[in-house]
Amino acid sequence: MVDAASPVGGRSECALRLTLNGAERNLTVPVERTAADLLRDDLRLTGTRIGCSRGVCGACVALVDGVPVATCSMFAFQLDGCSVQTIEGLDQDGQLHPVQQAFVDQGAFQCGYCTSGMVLLTKALLEQHPRPDRATICEWISSNVCRCTGYAQIIAAVEQAGARLAGEEST
Amino acid sequence: MKPPTVAPAQLRDRPAATPPLKVVGHSPPRKDALEKVTGRAVYSTDIVLPGMLHAKVLRSARAHARIVSIDAAAARQAPGVHVVVTGADLPAHIMPFYGYFIKDQPIVALDKVRYIGDIVCAVAAQTEAAAIAALRLVRVHYEDLPVAANIEQALADDARALFDDAPMGVVPAYGDGASAQLRPRKNVCYQFNYRTGDAAAFARCDHVFEDEFRFSRMTHYHLEPFVSVADARGDTMQVWASCQNPFPLRKELARMFKWPENRITVQVPFVGGGFGAKNNVKTEAVSVLLSMLTGRPVRFCLTMEEGFLTNTQHAAILRLKTGVMADGRLVARQSEILLDAGAYSDGSPLVAEKAGYRIPGPYRWEHIDTACLCVMTNTAPAGPFRGFGGTQTSWASESQIDMIARRLGIDPYVLRMRNLLHLGDPFVPGESGIDSDLRQGLDVVCEEIGYHRRTHDPRSTLRRGMGIAIGFKDGGGVNKPAQARVKVSTSGDVFLQCGTVEIGQGARTALSQITAEILGVPLDKVAYAPINTDYLPFDQGTNASSGIAVMGQAVERAARGVRDQVLAFAASQLGVEAGALQLGNGVVLHAGKPHPLAPMVMRHYGGTGFEFSADGFFKAASDHHAPLEAPCVFWEIAWGAAEVEVDTATGQVKVVKLVASGDAGRAINPVMLKGQEDGAAIMGLSQALFEHMIYDDQGRLLNADPLTYRVPLAEDLPHDFVTITQEQGHGPGPFGAKGAGEGTILPIASAVANAIHDAVGVRITCLPITPVRVLEALINQQINQESVP
Repeated sequence: MVDAASPVGGRSECALRLTLNGAERNLTVPVERTAADLLRDDLRLTGTRIGCSRGVCGACVALVDGVPVATCSMFAFQLDGCSVQTIEGLDQDGQLHPVQQAFVDQGAFQCGYCTSGMVLLTKALLEQHPRPDRATICEWISSNVCRCTGYAQIIAAVEQAGARLAGEEST
Repeated sequence: MKPPTVAPAQLRDRPAATPPLKVVGHSPPRKDALEKVTGRAVYSTDIVLPGMLHAKVLRSARAHARIVSIDAAAARQAPGVHVVVTGADLPAHIMPFYGYFIKDQPIVALDKVRYIGDIVCAVAAQTEAAAIAALRLVRVHYEDLPVAANIEQALADDARALFDDAPMGVVPAYGDGASAQLRPRKNVCYQFNYRTGDAAAFARCDHVFEDEFRFSRMTHYHLEPFVSVADARGDTMQVWASCQNPFPLRKELARMFKWPENRITVQVPFVGGGFGAKNNVKTEAVSVLLSMLTGRPVRFCLTMEEGFLTNTQHAAILRLKTGVMADGRLVARQSEILLDAGAYSDGSPLVAEKAGYRIPGPYRWEHIDTACLCVMTNTAPAGPFRGFGGTQTSWASESQIDMIARRLGIDPYVLRMRNLLHLGDPFVPGESGIDSDLRQGLDVVCEEIGYHRRTHDPRSTLRRGMGIAIGFKDGGGVNKPAQARVKVSTSGDVFLQCGTVEIGQGARTALSQITAEILGVPLDKVAYAPINTDYLPFDQGTNASSGIAVMGQAVERAARGVRDQVLAFAASQLGVEAGALQLGNGVVLHAGKPHPLAPMVMRHYGGTGFEFSADGFFKAASDHHAPLEAPCVFWEIAWGAAEVEVDTATGQVKVVKLVASGDAGRAINPVMLKGQEDGAAIMGLSQALFEHMIYDDQGRLLNADPLTYRVPLAEDLPHDFVTITQEQGHGPGPFGAKGAGEGTILPIASAVANAIHDAVGVRITCLPITPVRVLEALINQQINQESVP
C-alpha cells in the first residue's frame, strides 16, 4: 500500500496492484518509472504512444478508472489500486468497439500515432456525454493533438460512435 | 519569345465514357485501419532488439561558439555508459558530414557549434536515463562568436560567417533559364535563379509595384519523434528508421561510413507523421556510429523538444516587383526570395529551387526574373516542409496579386480571371501544360463561400470580408524515378512491392486500390509489402506529393505487365487468343466462363506452383528545355476562400468560413483524400493565424517546447470548414489522377490576409496574422486617414 504523504517512502521500487484491461496484475516497478514506460517497455503494450512526453499531445492517453490521463506524465506507482484500460483492451474477440469502428468508417486517422489516445478519449467522452453536441466534442478532442487530419473526420467519428452507442443507428 | 510548347503527354483528357470502376474511386477502409485503431501498428519507436543500448546527445546552449575543449572523462566512467563520442573521437576513415546538395552537417560538432541545439557529443548507455546522467558530466569550454539569428543579421556586412571554408557541395544540371551557385556570398549556401523573357517588359508597364512579405516558420510537429535503431555489428548494417526516403538514406549512410550499399538494410515500419522532416539523415548517423563503436544495437529517439531543434520550415523574406498594365494585365515580375536556412543546408537548396521557380504563380507573364537565396543563420536547420517553398511563394504572390487588384480598382477575382493560364498552357517556356482548369476551380470556391454576394457593413465593429487565393506548385519531384513490382501467386493472391512509405497519406491503400482495379481482384487480395531496401525495387522517396502521380504510374505499369503475363499464360493453356480473355474477381474469364488460375498453373509449372511478376518504372523524361531538366509531372493546384470577421476594437480575426479545394484529377480514395485536404488546409490556417517558432535576436527559440508552441486543436476549426475535392480528370497518373496532399496548405494564409483587407482595408504582409499586427495596422490606417484632409 502506498502512503499518501510519502508514496514511495524512500524505496527504489514499489509493489503495484492494478486491473489492466480487465485482468488483475501484481507488479514491482522502479519508483521513477512513468506509467507510459510501464505500459510500453515493461508490459509491451505499445499501442500507448509517446509523442511529447509533456502531457500535452495526448498520444499516451489511457483510461484510469475511466478517466483519460496522459500516462507519460504520471508515475507508474500512481496506478496502484486503479483500473487501467489501454487501447489493447478495447476490441473484444476480434470485434471492434463502436468507437474504433467509427474511426475506421470515417477515415478519422492518417499516420495513426494519435489514434489510440483519440479513441480512448472518445470512449470516455461518450460515457459522460452520450450524445455530445459539436462544441462539447471539440472541447474534449482539443485535449489531444492530431497533426494529420485537421480534426473534421475525427469529429464525424465521434458523432457516429455516439449515435451508434445510443442505439440511434443500426449500421 | 519562342512559342510555347505543350507537352501533350502531360494533359490527359478524361475519357468520355469511363468504364465503371470497382475499387478505384471508392473509399473502402484503409488497409492499415485495424492495426491503427487497435494499437497494434508498429512504428520505429516500438523496435526493441536484444542487448540494445540507448543514445542521447549533448546539445549546444550557445548559438554560435568555437569549441575550445571538451572534457568527457567523467562521462566515460559514468555507470552504464558504453561510449562517449566527441568530434575528436570520430573514426578517421568516415566522412562525418551529411546533407542533400551540400554536405555540411557533422554527426557531432568538430570545431564549433552553430545553433542552440547543435549536437556536441553523443553517448550510448544501458538506459536513456544513464545516458542523460552521463551527459551532465561533460564539460565544454566555449568561446562565443557573434550571432546571426535571422536573415538581416546574417547578410549584414559585419556578420560573422557560419562556415569559414566552403563545404563540399554540388549544383545539379539545370535547363533553359535556370541556374544556381554555391556560396555566392557570405552566409548564403546556395542561390537559385530563373529568368525568361526580356526585362525591357517593365518599361512598357503602366504600373510597377514593389512589396515585401514575411513568412514565419513552423515546426513539423510530427507526433512520432525522430527515431532510429541501428545494428552495425559485424559486416552488415541494419537500420530501422522513421524515415520518408529509405533508399537515399541507405546511400547517404553508405557514403558516410564507407560501407557497400548492399550490406546496409533500411527498414521502415509505420511512420507517425513527417510532413517533410523525415527525409534524409536525422537520427540515423548517430545510432549507426554508436552501434559500430559499441558492437551493440543502439536506439536513438529524440524528444519533441529536440525535434524542434532538428528540422523546421523556412522563414522567409520575399520582395516582389511586379509590372502590370492599367487594365490589370500582368506583364513582368522580378523577385528576391531570402530563405532562412538555419545553421546547416539540409534540404534548403532544393527548397530554394522550388520557391524561386514557383513565384510566378499560375499566371501568364512576359518576363520573369527570380533569385532565391538560402541564408545561413544561427538557428535550427530548415528543410523540406509540406508545400516545399510553394507555401512561401503562394503567400507572397497571392497577397500581392490581391493588393494590385485593389490598387487598380479591379475586383481581385476579375484580375485573376484575366491572367490565369489556360488548361494546357505551359507554365513557362519548355514546361509541361497546366493540367487543371484554373478558372473552373476558382469558381468552385467562390460559389461555395458566396464571394460575389458578399456585403460589407462599415458601421459595425465586427467587420466581415472575404478573400480568395490560388495555391500553386509543381508536383511529383524533379528527376524522380520510381519502380514497383507486382506479383500474382498460383492462388491469385497479389503482392505489391514498392518503396512508398506509409506515413499516414494512405499509400498502402491507394496504391493497392490501383493494383486491385487493374487486376480485377477485390482490394483484400492485394498485400502491400513491408518497407525493406533489400527486397523492394528502388524508389527515391515519399515526398513531393508523388505517391499517386509518380509511384502510381510505376505501380500501374507493373500491374498491367503482370496482368498481361497472366492472360498470355492462360491463353496458351486454353488455346485461345489473349485478347479474348479478361481478369475478373480473381479468375480468368473467357466468353463469360471462369477459369481458375491454380489448376492451369500447377498443370504447367508443377504442384509447387509459380509466381507471375512484373516490374513497372516511371520517370519524367529528361529535357534540357525544361528549366528543371524534366517537365513537371503534374501541377498541384488548390483554391482557397476565407470569410473573416475582424474585431476592429481588438484586432482579433475570426475565420467564419474556410473553403479549400484541390484538383485531384481523379480521387483514388475520396475519404482518404479529403483527410489530406482537411489536414493541409488546417495547417495553413494555423500558419496564417498563430502557429510559429519564435526566435529572438540572440538565436534563442522562445517557444521550444510542446506546451508553449501552439498547434491547431479541434477548437480552432472554423465554424464552417469545407473542403471540396475536384476531379477534373487531366492528371498523368492512373485513371487521370494527379498528386495530392500538399495543395490545400498553399492558398490559406493569403486568402485570410485578402479577406482581412476586404473587411477592414488594411494589409497584413507578415505572418502570423496576430491580433497585435491587425490592431497596429488599423491604428496606422486611422492615423493616416486623419492626417489626410
